[in-house]
Amino acid sequence: MAFSDYFDEKNIKFHENGKIMSKKRIVFELGQGTSLRHEDYTKAAKRAVENALWKNSLNVAEAFGFDKSDMIIDVILGAQEPGKIESEKIRGVFPYGEVSIEKTFGGLDVPKPDGGGKTIIVTAAIIVSFQMEILI
Amino acid sequence: MTLSRLILETGMGNDLYGEDYTKAACRAVQDALHHSSLTLFRSLNLDSKKMEVKVTIGIAKPDEVDADKVKNILPHGVISVTVVRGGLNASDEENDTVSIIATAAIEAFYEIDKQDFKKTI
Repeated sequence: MAFSDYFDEKNIKFHENGKIMSKKRIVFELGQGTSLRHEDYTKAAKRAVENALWKNSLNVAEAFGFDKSDMIIDVILGAQEPGKIESEKIRGVFPYGEVSIEKTFGGLDVPKPDGGGKTIIVTAAIIVSFQMEILI
Repeated sequence: MTLSRLILETGMGNDLYGEDYTKAACRAVQDALHHSSLTLFRSLNLDSKKMEVKVTIGIAKPDEVDADKVKNILPHGVISVTVVRGGLNASDEENDTVSIIATAAIEAFYEIDKQDFKKTI
């Protein structure tokens, strides 16, 4: 593996003996959620995260002999009005892990046919990583 | 070395009017596959050819599923497909149609030697 292959992450750290260790992306999960009637961006975001999480069951922590709490969870939410998503409520969905939430412009708002309000679609991308070192 | 399960992916697929059980099963597999990506193969330089993939389809008429067609969807690993009775057939007697709903479970296994990896927090 080329040395440069390791440099795809923000959080690169160096071990005392100079060995490279970094945040390794293990699984990527995707989901989508809606708020059909209440124009609630937080609820749509929560559903997007739940959709991403509950479609898969991860066993990667056990496979490597790590704890589930070692998981570093980076959440990226796309919504037309990202500022309206309450991050703390999204954080509450995760049963374990070190969670960070990034909100960005995206998703989709669909106006209702009668002109009264809109349907909100939020998209979620969840990146699960471990701070780890490959010994082989 | 032990064969560890990395992930269980679940999915649902249907064929609303065609009564094509294979199509419903294939769609369920697509749904299961495309909600996640096992990025660890790239990050940790693992060989995806060594991954074992166990696909289980739940559908009302297992005999009508062409398991080879289902198998061909999966892009990586050593694949096995099992079709069992399950899923759901929702029939509309008034309009004389039946919608076939298939459920898919995809499990990925890989032989991981825990000693090869160390957490560094």
